[in-house]
Amino acid sequence: MLAFFVGVVLANVVACVPEQPAAKTGYVTISVEQKASWTRNFNPLVASGGARWPSQGGIYEPMMVFNTVQNQWVPWLATSYAWSEDGLSLSFVIRKNVRWSDGKPFAAQDVVATFELMKAFPALDAGGAWKFLNDVSLRADDEVVFKLNKKYVPGLHIVAQQPVVPRHIWSNVKDPVAFANPNPVATGPFTEVERFENQIYVLGLNPYYWQKEKIGIQGLRFPAYPGNEQANLALINGEIDWAGNFVPAIDRIYVAKDPEHHHYWFPRIGTTVFLYVDVNKAPFSNVEVRRALSQAIDRELMVKVAMFGYTEPAYPTGLADNLDAWRAPKVAAQMDWMTHSQNKALARLEKEGWARNAEGELTHPDHGALEMEIIVVSGWSDWVRACQVVAQNLKSIGVKAKVRTYDFGTWFEKMQKGEFQAGIGWSTDGASPYSFYKWLMSPDTVVAKPKMASSNWHRFGVDEVKPPLNVLETEPDLEKQKAAGVELQRLFAQHFPAIPLFTNPAWGAFNSKRFRGFPSQEHPYARLSPNGLPGALLVLTQLTQAPSGAEQP
Amino acid sequence: MSYLLRRLGLYAVAGFAALTLNFFLPRFMPGDPAAALFGRFQGRLKPEALEALRQAFGLSGEPLWRQYLTYLSDLTRGELGVSVAYFPEPVAHVIGTGVGWTLLLAGVSVLVAFVLGTGLGIWLAWRRGSFWDSTLPPLLALLGAFPYFWTAMALLFLLGFQMGWFPLRHAHSDHLSPAWTFEFVWDAWLHLILPAFTLVFTTLGGWMLSMRNNMVAELGSDYVKLARAKGLPEGRIMWAYAARNALLPNVTGLGMALGFVVSGALLTEVIFSYPGVGYLMLQAIRAQDYPLMQGLFLMITFAVLLANFLVDLAYQRLDPRTRAE
Repeated sequence: MLAFFVGVVLANVVACVPEQPAAKTGYVTISVEQKASWTRNFNPLVASGGARWPSQGGIYEPMMVFNTVQNQWVPWLATSYAWSEDGLSLSFVIRKNVRWSDGKPFAAQDVVATFELMKAFPALDAGGAWKFLNDVSLRADDEVVFKLNKKYVPGLHIVAQQPVVPRHIWSNVKDPVAFANPNPVATGPFTEVERFENQIYVLGLNPYYWQKEKIGIQGLRFPAYPGNEQANLALINGEIDWAGNFVPAIDRIYVAKDPEHHHYWFPRIGTTVFLYVDVNKAPFSNVEVRRALSQAIDRELMVKVAMFGYTEPAYPTGLADNLDAWRAPKVAAQMDWMTHSQNKALARLEKEGWARNAEGELTHPDHGALEMEIIVVSGWSDWVRACQVVAQNLKSIGVKAKVRTYDFGTWFEKMQKGEFQAGIGWSTDGASPYSFYKWLMSPDTVVAKPKMASSNWHRFGVDEVKPPLNVLETEPDLEKQKAAGVELQRLFAQHFPAIPLFTNPAWGAFNSKRFRGFPSQEHPYARLSPNGLPGALLVLTQLTQAPSGAEQP
Repeated sequence: MSYLLRRLGLYAVAGFAALTLNFFLPRFMPGDPAAALFGRFQGRLKPEALEALRQAFGLSGEPLWRQYLTYLSDLTRGELGVSVAYFPEPVAHVIGTGVGWTLLLAGVSVLVAFVLGTGLGIWLAWRRGSFWDSTLPPLLALLGAFPYFWTAMALLFLLGFQMGWFPLRHAHSDHLSPAWTFEFVWDAWLHLILPAFTLVFTTLGGWMLSMRNNMVAELGSDYVKLARAKGLPEGRIMWAYAARNALLPNVTGLGMALGFVVSGALLTEVIFSYPGVGYLMLQAIRAQDYPLMQGLFLMITFAVLLANFLVDLAYQRLDPRTRAE
């Protein structure tokens, strides 16, 4: 209701807004986290979301940053990495002449100490690094070696992107899990907390930053906005330079106000949203039924109605746009059930013994009527609308489909316990299809029913996926990896364990009035959305003040 | 005296019941804080991280009764625990960031609405049948029937966004830091006007109507007639006799309202991005932040009990019957 009203208000206002005083020149105003008031926490090791942005990539830095748009590694605190012949050790050469923001030199020991800390306190090990690591040690003054307990290629992402903390500070911290780290000492470009208040915090430059010549701004400022509506109001008002939140009808309410400076870029590189069905119970245990349901869904309509046209129907094998190099067009071409066709969907069901009775309802001699209840989080209006489209589409072919909304906690518990006939949900994203397919169809991720599953809620697993997943785990060679990726997609098409709907965009908008250098569709050097750390480092080190009209009001 | 002692005993029982409910009710919600947090990342956090989160939040599989005992013993030492949504900030500190602003916003609006509404009620009852008496009550009742968040959004949109007369958000301008300077106080005051006005605007009618109706009833009673017959001045009859008796129900209402002041005016705070505890509460519930919820509910419970106690004291002054042994 609230969202709706503010949405209407925003949509109707285009003219005559007074410019609000923003800030001193040179400070980029950013809106990423949505909180009513800030608490001073810059601990980059706890994944709880308690640390202020950009603790995990901007204040602290990792050894390497993965550019999800270019699909390549950018060396950062390390200059290079290498796998050993046997694939059981991974080494990084550490950059020289890097200093912590207190002037002390950064060294390879800091990397070792960071991982030792994560070993001693498993709560800090959000990526589960010590599940595949045996040992971390120095090979030379500037080289760190990670010994693995098994071949595990995806481990590179977890190790390389781990924020590194200074040993000389953290070795004195008694409880690093509960440490709020109010005055961070780090290697990143913005380490100095110039102001910290409930409503705003301001970060200034690291006096010892190792690539100082790249930094074209004075600092970052973060006013607190409790929600999307308030952030959007400020964005439209020209107070925010860079934002990572959803904006409804953005062309009309944001871009149209100042087409020269107001820009956005919503690439489809988020997670793919799926319709999960209970694959362990008839009739959804039949892959043909799942395909027929998929064929009955009008995804074109769905992305228009539910997602403001910001995205497109999912790629047939579910892979998001950032994984397009992995896509298997031949497999996708065979998946005709990803294209909307009522007649073909009905034909598919008829082959399986379903028939429409006098009332037009689909029935089967063994299973009775085809019923489906779709569960969704109340208030997640985009998903609720998507489910309503699904229900309508299914009703029109004679499925007794209905949508039920639950509070987030209830919904998530039902999903985790597998207590649903059908439910809409996210999938796991990553830099390769490994995590994505592992959590969609590996038997290793299947949890027996009343127990909680953190993903693979539909509880599908076939042993055939183990060999290709194993290739992705153990084979550094990209061509062999890609072949395994194709095989996984073939298996996905064959078993079709869940129904892909659409891929979430990564939200990002910017105002080029005061600052330049943001990535965009025309200049896609990195992802614009500030929501992913440490990827935002790639953008933070490219921003410069606009040459003319740079004065902030 | 025994009246007050009896009341105190009652408060102790109510306080303990509330403590217990504070502990158990949030835990009856499905899910846990780690799951709620994991869910907010919608697939951007690897499923493996769920384990690390449970570790960090100290979600042990301990039986509920033992957790309850720990909770009680922590409370006796004044420990409210560590917030999950603002991990690793202590709950007391998180509440501390908002409670001052909430007291200012909600406290000022309740007091202004009470004084203004009650005063208007007395005046209207005295001049009943006049032009104002026949127009003001229905008008204010109509305004009071508007949902206050609707009024808040309308005011924000018209006076803040379109006219630019008032700031759009926050309790003070971003470039100022809290300090006892004229500049800051003036700035905070400017930021207070719109949200406070919203609250006053929608609650004024309630105070006024109840006061007016009580007053009218009192004015028809025999002691007022007697006072008139004895020739007491009108002002004295109105204030010292009729109003004093008519005030009792409103004082009870004020006690309740003041008690609930600390719970914040949730939607007003959200709409004006006012950094008070109302929004903290919303976030605590969304994130299933048990310790923060407990801390907030505890604060509200004690504020309501304290306010009631003060009302009891005021009753003793206003109503001699409660003083009779």
